[in-house]
Amino acid sequence: MIIEHIDTQLPGTVTDRHAFRGDQTIVVAKDSFLPLVDLLYREGFQLLVDITAVDWPEREQRFDVVYHWLNLASQERLRVKVPVADGEAMLSLTGRFKTADWFEREVFDMFGVRFEGHPNLKRLLTWDDFPGHPLRKDFPLDGGDAFCMEGCTAPYNNGERG
Amino acid sequence: MAHPASPFLSVLILLLIAGVTALIILVLSGKVLPLLKPNNPKAAKLRVYECGVPIQQDGARHKYTVRFYLTAMLFILFDVEAAFLFPWAVNFKHALWTFGAMLSFMATLLVGFIYAWGKGAFEWER
Amino acid sequence: MSEMNFNDAVMTTRLDAVVNWGRKNSLWPMPFGVACCAIEFMSMMASKYDLSRFGAEAMRFSPRQSDMMLVLGTITNKMAPVLRTIYAQMAEPKWVISVGVCASSGGMYRTYSTLQGIDRVIPVDVYVPGCPPRPESMIYGVMKLQEKIEKESLSMRKDHIERFYESLDRQEALQAAKGLTGQQAIREMMFDAADRGVGTIF
Repeated sequence: MIIEHIDTQLPGTVTDRHAFRGDQTIVVAKDSFLPLVDLLYREGFQLLVDITAVDWPEREQRFDVVYHWLNLASQERLRVKVPVADGEAMLSLTGRFKTADWFEREVFDMFGVRFEGHPNLKRLLTWDDFPGHPLRKDFPLDGGDAFCMEGCTAPYNNGERG
Repeated sequence: MAHPASPFLSVLILLLIAGVTALIILVLSGKVLPLLKPNNPKAAKLRVYECGVPIQQDGARHKYTVRFYLTAMLFILFDVEAAFLFPWAVNFKHALWTFGAMLSFMATLLVGFIYAWGKGAFEWER
Repeated sequence: MSEMNFNDAVMTTRLDAVVNWGRKNSLWPMPFGVACCAIEFMSMMASKYDLSRFGAEAMRFSPRQSDMMLVLGTITNKMAPVLRTIYAQMAEPKWVISVGVCASSGGMYRTYSTLQGIDRVIPVDVYVPGCPPRPESMIYGVMKLQEKIEKESLSMRKDHIERFYESLDRQEALQAAKGLTGQQAIREMMFDAADRGVGTIF
């Protein structure tokens, strides 16, 4: 439905697509992202449900910024993935979708993907000077926690961990 | 034996028991229990409790308007006046002197009433 | 309890035993309920499992009116200074039971945001594992605490509480000196402690 529509209106935009048990996903390049968003908005996909990202460290375009839209009239959902390289800035949707504000801040905090045109791109969940971006695959799982179970004593209980 | 104060003997016994109990509690909590309980005053323990977060305001006591006090005070005054009126009214026997006495009492309070009225104590919005 | 029965007519006990008996049978819990273990705590306090038969009838949510803190749920790094302040405001004698695996060791959350066990920031007396522990397990934990209390003595030194207050002072000094939040100060203190090979910040 909507994907055929995109193909007729904006041919060549969709570089990849897949569907799984009713989910529809398309992959588009960053250059054709804004016209696609305009088209989706006209077609009724006016609820931006989520913006998140996935880190594929072996790929050259490391991050996949993932957008979810819901068409309130037809109850149709669409997932759009945009590959972005490390250091490359993505385009912000805050002009049209107010919820994009905090979603993009969260993606910036967790992955380090900057968004051009965002009014207040600061970290959201961690503190301002937090070192690193937690959801990247090369961030240590426990945040650089230096503790280990062996070799560390509990000073009370006479050093026994009992 | 009919002791002249016997209706009040039970009250005396109650007074003594209450007094002795209070004394026991005071001595226990002042002298005995401090030997048993831990005593470890720390600055952090005595801070204002605000669910573990640093205090967001400088104290729970804040100023409020004097109108509440004024209203309460005026109420007390005129309510006590009314309270004096009731026993007088019950025992009133249609004598001019009695009537005049109560009138002069109310006149005294009326002067105060007019003064408060003139000063605007009855207006809530100033 | 050390008692001597003179023909079952007279019973003498040591002062410690009497005081400890009183303390262990009137443990007023302060539920620091932050997650799912709190639901199990509610179930434990309700009529079927009923902790009040152990004297824990008065469940006070104020640190000043309770003596046993039950940490029920995941404590994040951001919540750690709050936990320390609440523990600091409890009056002695006080004990802590760490209920559930999240409070005891971080549980299934091995991440940058979850405190890997509250014993890194507060002294803990009893650990109750489980995710969440059944109410019977939590009651067993309270019973173990009662056994621990029985063995205390009035003149026992509670060094871990002293060290906790010292560490709280150090944390506040660090916050004031560097303009940090509580979470950041505790994180620095944890790295310092790790350098020394110690598993707690107090």
